[in-house]
Amino acid sequence: MIDQYRQAYQEEARELLSELEAALLALDGDRTNLDVVGRAFRALHTIKGSGAMFGFDDIAGFTHHLETAFDQLRNGKLAVTADLIALALGASDQIKAMLEEAGGARPADPGRSAEILAAVRRLTDPSGSVIASPAGGNHEPQLNLEPQLNNEPQLNNEPQLNNEPQPNIEPQWEKDAPARDWRIHFRPAPDILSNGANPLRLFSELRELGALQVRVDTAEVPPLAEMDAERCYLIWELVLNTPAPREAIRDVFIFVEDDSELSIETTEFQSTAGEASSQASAQPAAARPPLAVVVRQSAAGAPAAAAHAAKSIRVSADKLDQLINVVGELVTVQARLSEASARSNDAEILEIAEVVERLTGELRNNSMSIRMLPLRSTFERFRRLVHDLGIDLKKDVELAIEGADTELDKTVIDQLNDPLVHLIRNSMDHGIETPQARRAAGKKPKATIQLAAMHSGAQVLIRVEDDGRGLDAGAVRARAVEQGLIETGARLSEAEIFALILEPGFSTAREITDVSGRGVGMDVVRRSVEALRGTLEIANRPGAGMTVTLRLPLTLAIIDGLLVRVGAAHFVLPLANSLECVELTRRDVAEGRGNHIAKVRGEIIPYIRLSEYFQMQAERREREQIMVIETEHGRYGFVVDQVLGDHQTVIKNLGKTYRNVAEVSGATILGNGTVALIIDPHRLVQNVIQAASEDQRRRTAGIHRNRGAYAQK
Amino acid sequence: MAKTILTVDDSASVRQMVKFTLTDAGYAVIEAVDGQDALAKLANPVNLVITDLNMPNLDGIGLIRRVRAIPACKGMPIIMLTTESQEARKQEGKAAGATGWMVKPFTTQQLLAVVKKVLG
Repeated sequence: MIDQYRQAYQEEARELLSELEAALLALDGDRTNLDVVGRAFRALHTIKGSGAMFGFDDIAGFTHHLETAFDQLRNGKLAVTADLIALALGASDQIKAMLEEAGGARPADPGRSAEILAAVRRLTDPSGSVIASPAGGNHEPQLNLEPQLNNEPQLNNEPQLNNEPQPNIEPQWEKDAPARDWRIHFRPAPDILSNGANPLRLFSELRELGALQVRVDTAEVPPLAEMDAERCYLIWELVLNTPAPREAIRDVFIFVEDDSELSIETTEFQSTAGEASSQASAQPAAARPPLAVVVRQSAAGAPAAAAHAAKSIRVSADKLDQLINVVGELVTVQARLSEASARSNDAEILEIAEVVERLTGELRNNSMSIRMLPLRSTFERFRRLVHDLGIDLKKDVELAIEGADTELDKTVIDQLNDPLVHLIRNSMDHGIETPQARRAAGKKPKATIQLAAMHSGAQVLIRVEDDGRGLDAGAVRARAVEQGLIETGARLSEAEIFALILEPGFSTAREITDVSGRGVGMDVVRRSVEALRGTLEIANRPGAGMTVTLRLPLTLAIIDGLLVRVGAAHFVLPLANSLECVELTRRDVAEGRGNHIAKVRGEIIPYIRLSEYFQMQAERREREQIMVIETEHGRYGFVVDQVLGDHQTVIKNLGKTYRNVAEVSGATILGNGTVALIIDPHRLVQNVIQAASEDQRRRTAGIHRNRGAYAQK
Repeated sequence: MAKTILTVDDSASVRQMVKFTLTDAGYAVIEAVDGQDALAKLANPVNLVITDLNMPNLDGIGLIRRVRAIPACKGMPIIMLTTESQEARKQEGKAAGATGWMVKPFTTQQLLAVVKKVLG
């Protein structure tokens, strides 16, 4: 149980640290913004408070000092400075290290903690007096629920939850100690009832300590006309017979004693004279019969309906992956069921199979959506990177984020971080100029990197755009020649030249800098993106910047596909980009006069016959079908023998051998157990276009190597 | 019928601990992430509110004031969660109408004891 809370805390703290970081960086741009200071303070406050709850005392103690500093910022006692922000960022990293230590990583450096704390102290308390640690400064009496054990204020933040089994909440005093009579005079504050306290509850609590006699004094109750029904006018005189000590009795009144008149006396301590007088004052009250006390009860018995209002729960990613795997298997089995039921011709089985198909589809969509996460936290993390690199490189750069709410499969997001880091580093290091150079070029000195995400069919586009100097085609070319990637005289289009920077080992940087150019080039980015079945495009604006666009699939597991047949083979085309399906007759083909174009609703559409593309032996049928698909290169038709229908496609990766077959993005297992290849229409069209242009050029120039398939425009 | 407790805290781990502990003890628990959220959740009948003080949007003190202004919630117990450094805030909370308080860090046993104290 405790471990579960601790884990929840660790996850929460990590999120709070991102929030803190985001606030700190925002603060760097707007140093007087108290809202942002408040955000940072709250994050620290929760890290500290919840940390202490779940036994992270080192984190709680450390964070406390930082919280103090931000409290002073909040109250205007301290001003935001660059030093302070850098210090707080460092502290944030240190807390992260401490969290990781708790998670089993190597211990955080205590020296670093001390260093940061010393610096924080210099800020918050320039006079140098010792700041009480939260552990030592806890003079607030802890609510004494364990009489005796807690008589001292808690002087340490011992991880209480780890002390299991806990000291019993049951009273710890000697139960068989001689019981004494305690006289309790209790005159509550008039507003006690509207503040939610209930004297009857107090009395029943006292009864748990021993026998109780209750007498009520109604002398203060005003005439009905003057009475405020919500006020309490009653005074109680109680006699409690209990072995419990005075502290235990006082604890019953802990929430009300501040505003109430309360005295607790033992009869034994009173002198005879005192007893006489007290008896005298008590007598009149005793003489009257106790009044029925009208106390408004808290709305007990009201329906407790909406207990299901929990907003979210945390589930480990492994469990989700397992779920998705099982759903994938289920989808495959369901396809078999549908197929078998269609063969059986049994109406009942057919109906069941249809219901199973519908439910499986729903299950698939629901479970896939569970894994979808917004890109926000991934994107926000780069603010820190840009901030830190900006300082290192002495460049003034602002990170603009757009479309951070775009959702993407968690597995894709997890693998996206490194390529994005690399692209941003590249931009910062090579793309963006120093403020001086920018001014000289007539640009504003503050550069901007824009990180944007948007949906496009079943894909997500992620764009990293900077307004730096852009790529220098000449320099890229010269460098490629130097590195032997192309021949000196090779004639390359601009797109092909830029594709060269994606080659392994290519770097335009003359020197290896601290930031990038450590032999890890854009080819690594390309490989990571390709591993995600994504593509990468570079658009260059010489002198004005460059844009790298990553096109990624929404998910890696299951897609909606369209199952088609070509000869004896089956293929799956992604449904998300499919527009329509029309017939292609021999007459239509003849009208094309040898060109692969067809007229669809008045529009000329080029088409690719899959049987020809894959060089399959297939008889040309009288009527074929064209799937019109929207690709990056416009609308293209894919000619197949027959469109069989939509198909929930569980994507299986192809083995190593087929890794270089770009136009096939994977395979899936059909209901009858055969394999169908999943076609990537974008890549297929790209290959066709490229083959055509290569054909033309091959006559004029020789390209030593060409892997330009990754750039267009 | 189970009594309903609304736990208001921007810390998910604290909410989780409060929820598990109290659900285990037979109470129905509703969660709210801040004061604003809590006010919305109070449309349902609630027997007790346990609220943190430092929260975005609407903080604990603000929440207590707003709750006390709702006629149906006048006598409802409200427990605030404070930290050891918040004596002034505690007084403010009491003035706003809080019934009682708990000092963080607290244990599940302490939580149950306080709930039992004000709710029975």
